[in-house]
Amino acid sequence: MFIQLVINGINYKVDIDPNMRLIDLLRDKLGLVGTKEGCGEGECGACTVIMDGESVNSCMVMAFQADGSNITTIEGLEENGELHPIQKAYMEEGSVQCGFCIPGMIMSTKALLDKHPNPNREEIREGISGNLCRCTGYNKAINAAERAIEILKEGAKNEA
Amino acid sequence: MTLDQVFKGNSISEVLELLNQYKEDAKIIAGGTDIIIGLRNGKITPKVLIDISKIDELRQIQVEENKIIIGSATTYTQIVENELFDTNLYGFKKACRLVGSPQIRNKGTIGGNIANASPAADSIPPLIALGAELNISSLRGNRKLLLEDYFNEKEDNRLRADELLMSIEFEIPKKNQVLGFSKLGLRKALAISRVTLSSLIGIDDDVNIENIRVASGSIGKYPMREREVEEALIGKRFNSEILKIAASSLQSSMDKRLVGRSTYPYKRRAVVTLFEEVYKDNLSYFNEVTL
Repeated sequence: MFIQLVINGINYKVDIDPNMRLIDLLRDKLGLVGTKEGCGEGECGACTVIMDGESVNSCMVMAFQADGSNITTIEGLEENGELHPIQKAYMEEGSVQCGFCIPGMIMSTKALLDKHPNPNREEIREGISGNLCRCTGYNKAINAAERAIEILKEGAKNEA
Repeated sequence: MTLDQVFKGNSISEVLELLNQYKEDAKIIAGGTDIIIGLRNGKITPKVLIDISKIDELRQIQVEENKIIIGSATTYTQIVENELFDTNLYGFKKACRLVGSPQIRNKGTIGGNIANASPAADSIPPLIALGAELNISSLRGNRKLLLEDYFNEKEDNRLRADELLMSIEFEIPKKNQVLGFSKLGLRKALAISRVTLSSLIGIDDDVNIENIRVASGSIGKYPMREREVEEALIGKRFNSEILKIAASSLQSSMDKRLVGRSTYPYKRRAVVTLFEEVYKDNLSYFNEVTL
């Protein structure tokens, strides 16, 4: 069956198998392998993408359910060859070790900041509570979110 | 997975037609957070999947006269963000906030929590305490069912293959009533509850308990009313004296229900603390509100 959807601003019409999940579509069909599959049960958040403005686990969405939706993956954050402020912040703060959880962690952070541009530490903690990290830990991820908020504010000031 | 065909439901009537046509071969999917796991590990093997997550009528929260009606495909995030649940219904919001993680709450639905009948469903005890009713439809007609009767040994009341859970409704508590909730999980997020407790308590002008409903989760095979503690507390003055009475009657219920289970001593102790927390929630509401 064919579905139509927008991924990272690009229109796709793709033929899917009824048994396919969104993560299978992204990774196996479209080659967007930045989105990782960890547990496959909605526990770890490594497969987090933004679907119609909200963070979701792409292993917990059937591909056919994504028909007509607008999806952003980690590949869609870069603009004009420049990394997104959240990505820059993760590098500046040294928040990445093995990196497997990072795409999901960053997408959750983006979903949070899109809704609440100025969260406190506790709210950031809650925002990434659906993403498990087994090596770096969470403090550096929270630091990165705080740094990202600063970069985003500086950007807004420069534009004004 | 065993799916031959998947349908994106556009309307309730279309979904009911499809259910009637495919019956046992079909499964409803909304948030997918339970069912996709079941599909992947082979616990369920439907040939047909019907998505109801895009049907607006099923994903809205409405107020009609003195009732709140929540569509079955309403997500936890929608509930948490709705200010209807900010004051004396805060216990319900608290339960929904503790479900899974942001990603799970963005997708997971209140109807799914009920239809899957998990013993550990966080949102169910507060709804049972509220006396919530289910609206269930099929091409054969509509039926209404008390949520607390949905979960029972016989499973007679459970959804049949051609039925769709449409909505959950309950009376808005009066100003002298408040819903409390407390959960014991092993970590803050993504924690399956070990024990949950919720109570709706109403007090009269003399601060005596006028009406009370208590419900628990994960203490037994399904979420249920805790009638023994209700009977012990009705008519009592609402102050910290009730904690002792509640503890002994809740523990007496545990003694009857859980003996022989490995979790018995743990849960027997846990319910006491959970009731204390629910009491504190209720107390702070009554202290803030002038009745």
